[in-house]
Amino acid sequence: MKRVLILVLALLFIAASFGFAQKKLTFAYMPGIEDPFMRMIEQGAAAKAKELGASLIVGEYPKAWGADIQVPILEALVARGGFDFLIVVPTSNEALIAPLKKINAKGIPMVTTDTFLGNGDYSKASNFSFPLAYIGTDNVLGGYEVGKRLAELIGNTGKVYMNTTNPDASSVTGRRDGFLKAMKEFPEIQVVGIDYNLDVQETAQRQTSAVLQKHPDLKGIFGTNLFSAQGAYQAVDNAGLSGEVKIASWDATPDLIQALKDGKVDLVLAQRPYQIGQLAVEWGYKFLTQKATVPKKVIPGFFFFTRENVDAPGSQSYIYQ
Amino acid sequence: MGGMGNRGAAAKVLTFLGERWAALFLLLLLLGFGFLERNFFTFKNFSNILYYATTYALLAAGETFVIITGGIDLSVGFVMGFTGVSSAIVMRDMYAAGRPEAACLLVGAAVGLALGLIPGLINGLLVARLRVPPFIATLGTYGVANGMALYLSNGFPITFLPPRVQKIGNSFLAYLLPDKGFTFLHRPEGLKSKELRSLIGIVPVTVLVTAAVLLVFAFILKRTRFGQHLYAIGGSKDAAIRAGINVPSHLVRTYVLSSMLAAVAGVLYVFRSGIGNFTTMSASYELFAVAAVVIGGASLMGGKGGLGGTLIGILILMTLENGLNIAGIPAFYRYIATGVILIAAVVIDQFTPERKAGGA
Repeated sequence: MKRVLILVLALLFIAASFGFAQKKLTFAYMPGIEDPFMRMIEQGAAAKAKELGASLIVGEYPKAWGADIQVPILEALVARGGFDFLIVVPTSNEALIAPLKKINAKGIPMVTTDTFLGNGDYSKASNFSFPLAYIGTDNVLGGYEVGKRLAELIGNTGKVYMNTTNPDASSVTGRRDGFLKAMKEFPEIQVVGIDYNLDVQETAQRQTSAVLQKHPDLKGIFGTNLFSAQGAYQAVDNAGLSGEVKIASWDATPDLIQALKDGKVDLVLAQRPYQIGQLAVEWGYKFLTQKATVPKKVIPGFFFFTRENVDAPGSQSYIYQ
Repeated sequence: MGGMGNRGAAAKVLTFLGERWAALFLLLLLLGFGFLERNFFTFKNFSNILYYATTYALLAAGETFVIITGGIDLSVGFVMGFTGVSSAIVMRDMYAAGRPEAACLLVGAAVGLALGLIPGLINGLLVARLRVPPFIATLGTYGVANGMALYLSNGFPITFLPPRVQKIGNSFLAYLLPDKGFTFLHRPEGLKSKELRSLIGIVPVTVLVTAAVLLVFAFILKRTRFGQHLYAIGGSKDAAIRAGINVPSHLVRTYVLSSMLAAVAGVLYVFRSGIGNFTTMSASYELFAVAAVVIGGASLMGGKGGLGGTLIGILILMTLENGLNIAGIPAFYRYIATGVILIAAVVIDQFTPERKAGGA
């Protein structure tokens, strides 16, 4: 009896010391810009961390998109330290390679979410293949699917225009390239222009107005993110052409969903930012605790809102809120 | 003797051209783009240019006052975002609480305008009483206003405002349907697709509001003693003090005016877009405002400038962007063009002979 008791106590002691030794894991999240999508990734990551008994610290949200703004914030985050795993949204697929490599060399494993380094292929050895995984939407596929659906909306013929944000962010350039690829399949559709609004909605609106002026017979617009789509639909709405010019947009913010219901926008692609955040923490946790092999690409997929399905109960969870 | 006279005449011509080069350049732009692009020289397009100029015109008007005193206000763009977000939050919450739309709009606009006084007051007190250089003082408020806007909005645009907001903000004084006639203040209903595309709105309401505000401020600058004192302060602060002008009080009021105009721009932006959006840093509103003021003939040293010139400066920047856009010039060239014109403005100003005191 006594021996059993000692054994149990010993086992308890070992277990307890294990518990102590295994300190609470901390994840760090470095967003790319202040916007609803990045906030949703944080929410997903925070929820998953809580569920796993880990904690999450968050770098300051950059107020504008670009390596020159993000890198100092990232370095401050690393200087503060105290985390075991980094979840980062690189704002440039080239300029972030060196700073992130330096952090990686300090023994901090990382995944990139939403955007990637280089061409995003971490499976082959290269100077940018050090992140464990890219977790995010397949933007090229998304842009392609948007293109197909927009073509259908305008009857596979006519002029279309694209308003996007930055020429050097892998996420939006992927959407652009996918969209253009789809448009190539429709010989009667002409892409009349691509504008870069640098994430300023007013600029997107101004650019769209000018394009409507140049091409009064424009049939469709693809706004590649929240600010692009909002600016585009406002320009179209002001010109009194809602419904006449079909608008495809990216990201299911409450405003775009409302615009879809109001008939100002015709198609909304929803990414899964919450799930991206969850997956990033989940895989990081598995890697740190079980030495699990993380797949080089984790693609959560997307969902298309149309006026037909926007009110369906099953669609509501895809809205960013 | 004759040589002297010729040189005098040449200087006069140079002065004449140098002082009006901005207006001439604007004219040249309009004609040039009109010649190049059939779709540029239309009523609808000019209406668009004016519509998009409103935000910048209001910000640059305030900036003109500040620059005349020899200062600078870098906070205008973010004060605009801060007041816009605040005003939108009030509208949204009141509307959600079931208040009548008119009340939501009025109270929301009033709150936005009132909040606009605070950053201006802080700027003014810092500059006038604590002798903080305007560049630093307003750079500080720039950060604070930006942070407040992001804190209030949590990084999300403020949505679900009363639907009438956007309707009012995007209405026109009149609508013209070619061959069919006019309607006033509201869009004719039940139009077919072809008619929709040819409908012309005449004078956006936001342009009217902006014009009214600018007229009042032009009057203040040109016709009141306060306005004249600002030129004196910018010309020489010491001389102004010796002349008995209460310089600190004038400076405080100037920064408050600038901030107030930014708040007007913020509230108008809510009406135009139907959402409350924080200002993204890449918008660089303050830089465009300063550029327009300088292109319009003001000097960053103070003592010089006017709202007419500033308005021309804004129209040059807007026409240039619109024209290059319609001409299909890729976006990157447009930034270059803006930069080149800004530098040209200052160079031309340097080489324009000064008018003699008491001259025309």
